[in-house]
Amino acid sequence: MRVWTAGSPSGKVAHDLGGGVADGKGRTMADARRFPNWVFGHGEEPDPRFTLANERTFLAWTRTALALVAGGVALEALALPIQPGLLSASADILLVLGLVIAPMAWLRWALTERAAREGRPLPGASPSALLAVGMTVVAVLLTVGTLL
Amino acid sequence: MTTEKGPWDPGLQPERTALAWRRSVLSLLIGSAAAIRILPPVVGLWSLSIGITGVLVSSALWVASAERVRREDHALRAGTSLPGGLLLALLAATVMAAAAAGIAISVLFPR
Repeated sequence: MRVWTAGSPSGKVAHDLGGGVADGKGRTMADARRFPNWVFGHGEEPDPRFTLANERTFLAWTRTALALVAGGVALEALALPIQPGLLSASADILLVLGLVIAPMAWLRWALTERAAREGRPLPGASPSALLAVGMTVVAVLLTVGTLL
Repeated sequence: MTTEKGPWDPGLQPERTALAWRRSVLSLLIGSAAAIRILPPVVGLWSLSIGITGVLVSSALWVASAERVRREDHALRAGTSLPGGLLLALLAATVMAAAAAGIAISVLFPR
């Protein structure tokens, strides 16, 4: 029986999925072969469900970043009836948001994985606030740009 | 609740992760193909090199992610370690490159 500080997203699962099978097969040892070493060189293997959920969260953030880039390129490329200065400013904000959020997603994945390996609380900071502020600014710019 | 062993947990974790990889890389592939279609009025023939590069990189990521999902499934069944974060870093770098290309277009081809 093990208590997972971070390894059970649902809060309901408090036991090791692999049971005793996991021990002695390399799951419990820190593994420096995997990239990056500053994550996998510490702690021990969390519940694999946690690792997979962390991976999906990274992928969801990556798709968010990709959507921002696609939106920025679309604003640049399509002939839209919006004031040109505000249109290109909106496109640039979306592109920079995508440029920044993609590496933040990976860094957050790595910090989360390391926290789970060491049984510490998950990192609290996320790109959410940045995304919310950026999207609000873009929405205002595009609304004003449509009216002008 | 019955005790589950291996990848057949009630949350279908491996399948959800595999689908997440597929829709992520597929979005990249579709975005690259769409770039070939919508960029010519802005950047001319550069749209072809940008789009084709994107399609090639996305295809390579598709193959690599399929292999990763296969290894994840194997690791869950064998009780060994799941793969590390290299492919995740490559995916993030690809999205960053797409964003950088968009910014470069904005700077070099102002409308």
